[in-house]
Amino acid sequence: MSNSKVNMDSIPEDMWEKIDNKEKESDLISRPSLTYFQDAWRRLRRNIMSMIGLVIIIILILTAIFGPFFSKYNFSDQSLKMASLPPRLELFKIDNENYIYLANGLKIYSSTSNGEIINLLNPIKQDFQKKIKVYKLNGKEIVLDFSDKPFKLLNENGNEYPFYKKVWNKNHLLGTDDLGRDLLIRIIYGARISLLIAFVATLVNFFIGVLYGGISGYAGGRVDNIMMRIVDIISTVPLMLYVILLMVVLKPGLKPIIIALGSVFWVRMARIVRGQILSLKEQEFVMAARTIGATNLRILVRHLLPNAMGPIIVSMTMMIPTAIFTEAFLSFIGLGVPAPLASWGTLCNNALGGYRSYPYQLFLPSLAICITMLAFNFLGDGLRDALDPKLRK
Amino acid sequence: MNKDKDAIIKVRNLKKYFPVKKGFLKRKVQYVKAVDDISFDIKKGETFGLVGESGCGKTTTGRTIIRLYDVTDGDVIFDGTNISNMKEKDLSSFRKRVQMIFQDPFASLNSRMTVGDIVGEPLDIHKLASGKERQERIYYLLKTVGLSKEHASRYPHEFSGGQRQRIGIARALAVDPDFIICDEPISALDVSIQAQVVNMLEDLQKELGLTYLFIAHDLSMVRHISDRIAVMYLGKIVEVAKSEELYKNPTHPYTKALLSAIPIPDPDVTHKRESVTLEGEVPSPINPPKGCTFRTRCKYAFETCKNKEPSMKNLGGDHTVACHLLDNKK
Repeated sequence: MSNSKVNMDSIPEDMWEKIDNKEKESDLISRPSLTYFQDAWRRLRRNIMSMIGLVIIIILILTAIFGPFFSKYNFSDQSLKMASLPPRLELFKIDNENYIYLANGLKIYSSTSNGEIINLLNPIKQDFQKKIKVYKLNGKEIVLDFSDKPFKLLNENGNEYPFYKKVWNKNHLLGTDDLGRDLLIRIIYGARISLLIAFVATLVNFFIGVLYGGISGYAGGRVDNIMMRIVDIISTVPLMLYVILLMVVLKPGLKPIIIALGSVFWVRMARIVRGQILSLKEQEFVMAARTIGATNLRILVRHLLPNAMGPIIVSMTMMIPTAIFTEAFLSFIGLGVPAPLASWGTLCNNALGGYRSYPYQLFLPSLAICITMLAFNFLGDGLRDALDPKLRK
Repeated sequence: MNKDKDAIIKVRNLKKYFPVKKGFLKRKVQYVKAVDDISFDIKKGETFGLVGESGCGKTTTGRTIIRLYDVTDGDVIFDGTNISNMKEKDLSSFRKRVQMIFQDPFASLNSRMTVGDIVGEPLDIHKLASGKERQERIYYLLKTVGLSKEHASRYPHEFSGGQRQRIGIARALAVDPDFIICDEPISALDVSIQAQVVNMLEDLQKELGLTYLFIAHDLSMVRHISDRIAVMYLGKIVEVAKSEELYKNPTHPYTKALLSAIPIPDPDVTHKRESVTLEGEVPSPINPPKGCTFRTRCKYAFETCKNKEPSMKNLGGDHTVACHLLDNKK
């Protein structure tokens, strides 16, 4: 060491050369500093499917919150006259101003040419032996002949009224259900309930799962062993049985579903968190935290959990569609929210009775469930890639 | 001897056994004797090197001394206080004075925290500084290890291995410690960066009056930085000597083998020198050989080695060796 110093002095001064300032700046980093989540967002944005999923989810949430303010109907408004009107109407022309729509169940509605239903017409005469019904609209007689399919609409001279065209139902965009309630607003309210249950259940799962898994993984040893055996036991209880029993004890409604989902689903989250913590706690940065005197709580909250956040968020996103589906399933088998509240599952259940005549009543809420689940799954898939770059191909 | 007087840390008969658990009830059936009865002193201001091959217990020794592991048996006396059985909450002042630099610069920094927060965390925990003072202290520490204050707001993944190790050193320096355990701080770095970091550690030692326990498996680097060196084999110290003495006059067969494994960048010398190669595998620390633990791989082993564990003998001038061959010579 000392040798080198002597040598330095003996170098003649004119051999020294000044280096420019560039050398000093070689350590500077020019890339903008990105936090973990900024970096993940950058990667997520490139994934088209998950961005579509995210947009759908945002639209869905906004609709669920603000949709009802823009509708003239309430989810519980009944109008038996307007029961089971489909979204598409087949109109027959009576004259230039009067059109009629022939509904299932031998009901005839007067309508405008663009599909606005005016009223249900009452027959002035019925003859069940000849199988005809006679109506009067704007002075004109309409004879409904239902003796043979397809049913015919005749005028007083026995000529058929011409088929006009198919138009959208202007009163009820997605039609009405069997009690004449607007299906669109009921699906929007269903979204409210389905999403609320899903989010609350997932949030409850998140807290219980992270706390339980975190403690179990960090404590390790015998504590971990016992806590995980409890998890094993809970996960072997069939969810359905558990929910049905819970419904018996509690009154049907939102609360028991949330309690049921919240108290069972956390098992998976706890396992994921525990596994993460178990592998992270052996890393040197945790030891470093201990050598500087960090408490266990601080290590868990500031060092371990932030590092386990990626898998936690992914499994939360994946848990939401599962919760939505489970809720829909429970409602479908009659363990859901009580009438007149509607969740997607109860809407499907209601539609089941008349699904041959009114398939749209079953199809539309099912479609809502499908789209929501797909959107969350796409987003979760993208999040997994974005939050864990190591998993990417 | 006045050795005890200015020793900053005294390790006496330190043992660390890891239980091997089996079965559903996790009964402890066996023990891995990672550190088995070692004693040494480290004087104030010196660098004490600890070398040995992988799995011999170097890192465990370091981690046990700093109480990352609980001590199975024996004493660690730091500055007159026995810390081997202290509870974690009483260790606070010890944690302020003893720090550690870790082996892997990629695993030893929390990737979710900024460099400023990593370096500042010891200050928060020990309530040493806050607000503007904390900020200044972080900048000062970064400057000390050759980084700039612009780096404080960045995340560890933006740095190279050498820079990350500097961040680790800055974190260790934050509490203004007296004693730093360097756990193979350079083995994960490029050779060019190794020299930088070692030189920086030397400079810091001079400036701040630090004492180092320098753990490594690379003898040439340890020789460069250490005042005294201890050689470990299978949980035991086999030879301790001043670093020049150890290189000039290695006595234990294991030390000889280790030294002959250092490559010398001169083909003539390499050709001439006697090479001592070790044969066989390191025995399992669960069930180490009786007597001298090294006898299974030692070509000089004889009957006594099987029966009796060699004790440390002083050859004078702080050179101690545990080997039966010495008795034979006399």
